[in-house]
Amino acid sequence: MAKYIGFRLLATIPLMFAIAVVTFLIAVAMEANGSIAIQVCGEGATPECVSAVEENLGLDDPIPVRFIQWLGDVVSGDLGASLLDENASVAGLIGERIWASVSIVGFSLVIGITIGMVMGIMAAIRPGGLLDRSLSIVAASVIAAPGFIIGMMLSWGIAIELGWLDPIGYTPLSESVTGWFTSILLPSIALGMPTIAIVQRQLRSSMANALQSRYVLAARARGVGRAPLIRRHALPNAMVPTITVFGFRAAAAIGLTTAVEIVFGIRGMGELLVTAILNRNVTVLQGGMLIVGLVVAVVNLLVDISYGFLNPKVRLAK
Amino acid sequence: MTATTSVAQSPRRRFWGRMFKNPLGIFSMIWFVILLIAWVWPELLATHDPLQQDVTLQRLFEGPSRDHWLGTDQLGRDWYSRVIFGAGYAFRSILIAMTIAVVVGVPLGLFSGWRGGRVDRAIMWVNDVLFSLPIILLAMAVIIILTPSLDNAMIGVGIAMSTRFTRLTRAVTLQEKEELYVDSARITGLSTRTILARYIAPNLLSSLIVQAAIISGAIILIGATLSFLGIGASLDDPDWGVMLNRSRELFRVEGVWQVVPPGMALILTVLSFNLLGDAIRDAIGRDSSNNALSITKRTAVTAATTPHATGPDVVLSVRDMDVEFPDQSGRVSQILQGVSLEVRAGETLGVVGESGSGKSMTMLSALGLTPAPGRMTRGSVQFGGRDVTNLTESEWQAIRGKDVGVIFQEPIAVLNPAIKVGRQIAEPLMIHQNLSKKAALQRAGELLAEVRVPDPVRRLDQYPHEFSGGMAQRAGIAMALACEPKLLIADEPSTALDVTVQGQILDLMAEVQERHKMAIILITHDLGVIAEAADRVLVMYGGQVVETASADDIFFRPKHPYSRALLDTMPQSHDGHGELPVIRGMVPSATAWPQGCRFAPRCDFVTDACTNDMPALETIGGDLVRCVRHGEIQLVPEEEMQA
Repeated sequence: MAKYIGFRLLATIPLMFAIAVVTFLIAVAMEANGSIAIQVCGEGATPECVSAVEENLGLDDPIPVRFIQWLGDVVSGDLGASLLDENASVAGLIGERIWASVSIVGFSLVIGITIGMVMGIMAAIRPGGLLDRSLSIVAASVIAAPGFIIGMMLSWGIAIELGWLDPIGYTPLSESVTGWFTSILLPSIALGMPTIAIVQRQLRSSMANALQSRYVLAARARGVGRAPLIRRHALPNAMVPTITVFGFRAAAAIGLTTAVEIVFGIRGMGELLVTAILNRNVTVLQGGMLIVGLVVAVVNLLVDISYGFLNPKVRLAK
Repeated sequence: MTATTSVAQSPRRRFWGRMFKNPLGIFSMIWFVILLIAWVWPELLATHDPLQQDVTLQRLFEGPSRDHWLGTDQLGRDWYSRVIFGAGYAFRSILIAMTIAVVVGVPLGLFSGWRGGRVDRAIMWVNDVLFSLPIILLAMAVIIILTPSLDNAMIGVGIAMSTRFTRLTRAVTLQEKEELYVDSARITGLSTRTILARYIAPNLLSSLIVQAAIISGAIILIGATLSFLGIGASLDDPDWGVMLNRSRELFRVEGVWQVVPPGMALILTVLSFNLLGDAIRDAIGRDSSNNALSITKRTAVTAATTPHATGPDVVLSVRDMDVEFPDQSGRVSQILQGVSLEVRAGETLGVVGESGSGKSMTMLSALGLTPAPGRMTRGSVQFGGRDVTNLTESEWQAIRGKDVGVIFQEPIAVLNPAIKVGRQIAEPLMIHQNLSKKAALQRAGELLAEVRVPDPVRRLDQYPHEFSGGMAQRAGIAMALACEPKLLIADEPSTALDVTVQGQILDLMAEVQERHKMAIILITHDLGVIAEAADRVLVMYGGQVVETASADDIFFRPKHPYSRALLDTMPQSHDGHGELPVIRGMVPSATAWPQGCRFAPRCDFVTDACTNDMPALETIGGDLVRCVRHGEIQLVPEEEMQA
C-alpha cells in the first residue's frame, strides 16, 4: 500500500505542473487581446497605473523566462501582488478567503458521501420498492437543481422564515467553533445535496449490479445472510465506481462553491475570483486558479488512494 | 426451425415505441417541445414584452394573477414572459458549447483511439488533466482572456465538455477496434475512412446521443451559474441565471417567490435533459439497469401431484417443478416445466443437455436461488425428507453451505474480488460451525491442502485475481465441501479448465464422495465427464426432463432421439473422418417453445404426431422417456447392437 501511495504521489507532480502551465498561459493569452495594463486601468489610464501593472507582470522578458521566474516565485510561495493594489499580495488575499471555501466544500463532501451512501444502500436493499422509487425521483430532481438555488431556498426557509441560523456571513474556526459550524452548515447542505443525490444514484445502481453478480449468488449458496451479503460482499465492490463519481463531483463542487458562497454572503474564493475577472485582475485570478487547481489535484490523489483500499487488484499492481 | 409468432419490429419503431411508453421520457419530450417553441417563436407563448417595465408601486413583486401568470419582478416585468424568453439563452448556450465540444472532442477521441500507442497516451493525459479541473474554473479562464459574456463562457464550457466526448469516443473506438469484424474488414482492404463510417460511427452515435443529452443539462447548469455570478449573460438579458442573480438580492426581503419562476424553469430543463438521456439509453436497450431483485419475493407455489421419492438415503427430491420468468413487457415464459429428479446418498446423478436446456436453473431453483424476476410457480422440493419448497431466505441460510455445497461454472467470477480467498473459504465454517475467525482460517488452510492447492497458507492471504482458473476452482471446491455437505451440486465444475486439471477435479470429487457418502449432482454438457463420473443420468431439453436412465443405458441404449443426438456429437463416438456432427438447429428460446415436442424441429425422426401434442414423460422399466415414438424408432445402429 505504501508503495502504491508513493507511486500515486509521484504521478501527481506532472499534473500539478500542467495546472501551473495552464494558469501561466492565461496572462499570455490575455496580452493577445491588447495591453493588460490598459484592460486593467481603463482607456484613460494614467501612466503611473500602466507602468505599475507592467512592472508587476514583468512584461519585458521573453515568455519562457517569465514562466521560469513565475514558477520559481510560485514554488517559493510568492503568487505576486494584486494588479489593483501593489500592497496586497495574492497569497495573502487567498489566505484570507480560502478557509471558508475549504470548510464549505469539505463539509459538503462529508455530508454527500455519508448520507448518500446510507440512502444508496437503503434503496438497493429493496430495489423497485416504495423507498427506492421515491428516493430515485428525489435524487433525479436534486441533481438537476444547482446548489445556489437550493441555497436560496434554505436561506429563506431556515434562516429567514424560521430564524434558526444567520442567513449570511462566515465565522472563522479560530474565532468560534460553533459559530464556524453554524455559518457553514447551510451552504454546505446546499452544495452537498446534489452530491448526496449523485452518490445515492451511483451506489444504488452499482449495488444492484453487485447483488446480481455471480459472487453474491455463490455467497448465498454458502449460507451468507442478508446483512453480511450487503455489507461485506456487495458494498466494497459497489464503492469503486461510486468513489470515481464522487471524485468528479468533488472537483465540480470546488467550482460550484463560488455561487453558493455568494448566496450566503461569504467572502470566499468565489468572491475573489469573480471580482478578479470583472476587474481583469489577472495576477489574482492566476493565483486563485492555481491554488484551486492544486486542491483538485490533491482530491484526485485522495480518490486514487481510496481505490487502493477498496480494490486489491489496484493496490497490488506494482 | 422454430416457429416465431411475432413479426420482428424495426429497431427504429421499437425505439420510439419504448420512448413513448416511458412516462418520464414523455414528460421530458413535452417540456422540450414547449422550450423549442419558446426559443424559435417566444412571442407565441409570451403574454408580455419581457423587458416592459411597470414601475407603478403596486405592480412590483406581484404574486401570480390573471394578467401576470407567474407574477412580476422588481421592475414590474412579467415573470412568465421573461422565463419564456430565457429559453432562447439556454439553447444558445447549448448550441455554442455543444458544437465546440463535439467538433473538438469526437475527432480527437477517434484519432487517439485509432492511433493508439504513445500518441494516444499523450492525448489522453492532457485530456484527463482538463477533465479533472472544475468546468467553472476553465470557463473563468476563458472569460478573463476574452472578456465576460455568455458566449465566451460557453467557449470555455465547450472546451471543458470536449474532454467528455474525447473519452467516450476513444472508449467506443478502442472497443470496436478490438472487435473481430473491424480486424477482418482491415484485412480485406477497406480504407480507414470506410471502417470509421461503416463500423465505428453507428456504434458511437447512440452513446454520443445519450451523453449529449446529459451534457446539455450540465451546460445549462453551468451557464446559469456563471450568469448568476455576474460573469455570464449581460445583466440586462432575460436569462434564467441573470434573473436568479437579481433575485438573490431581493428574496430575503420580497419573499422566495422571486426565485421560483426562473429557478423552476432551470431545474425542469436540466431535469428533462437528464430524463431524456436515461429514456434514450433505456429505449436503445443498452446498459439499462433493470430493477431485478437479487432475492425473489415468496409467492404461492402450486403443489406437486407426483409423490416424492422415499427412503432414508434420498437426499434431494424435486417434483413437478415449474419456473417462470416475466420479461420486460410482462409476458411470462416458462423456463422449467414439470422437472422431477432425485438423488441418493453416495450416488452421482449426471444432468446433461445443451446450454439453455434448464440444467443450472433446475439446481438454483431447487435451492431457492431462482434468479429474480423468475419464480417457482409449481412443484415441491424435499431435502433429506424435509419439505423445503416454501422456506424463507433465512431458513435456507441454515441449509445452504452446510447440508448442500455448490460448485459453480466460472471459478473466478464466483469469488468476491474484494475479499481474500481464505476469508471466503472460512465463511461457511464461521456461519455453520460457529468457528472463530482464526480457527476457520486454519481449517480453510487444511481444506486448500486437501484439494491439492500448493502452498495453502500463503494462498489464504491472496485475492481471487492472484488465482489461476484451476486454482480458483479448487478453492471453490474447498468452499463447497467445507462443512462436509450431504449433497454437492457441481455445475460444469471442469468446463473452464484444461483436460489434465479436469480429470484431477473429478477425481477429487469422487474421493470426497467415497469418504462421506455424499450425493453429487453433476451438471455438464460434456458426455465424456458423465461417462467418467455418473451413476445415473438425467437428460434435459427445453426446460423439461426428456430421459432418465443409468449411465450405461444412456451410452448404449438411448431411448430419446435427443440423447442419441448428444451422443453423436461426442468426439469419442466419431470415426475421425469428415466433420464432427452437430445437432442441427438451435435450442429454442423459452419465449417461443415449439408446438408439441420441443425437440421436434431438430429431430431426425419427427412425424406429424410429434408436433401436435406435448409428449408425456412415460415410465419404461424404471427409466423415464418423453417421446411419442420411443417404441418404434431404432436409435442404436445395428453393428453397435451386435457388439
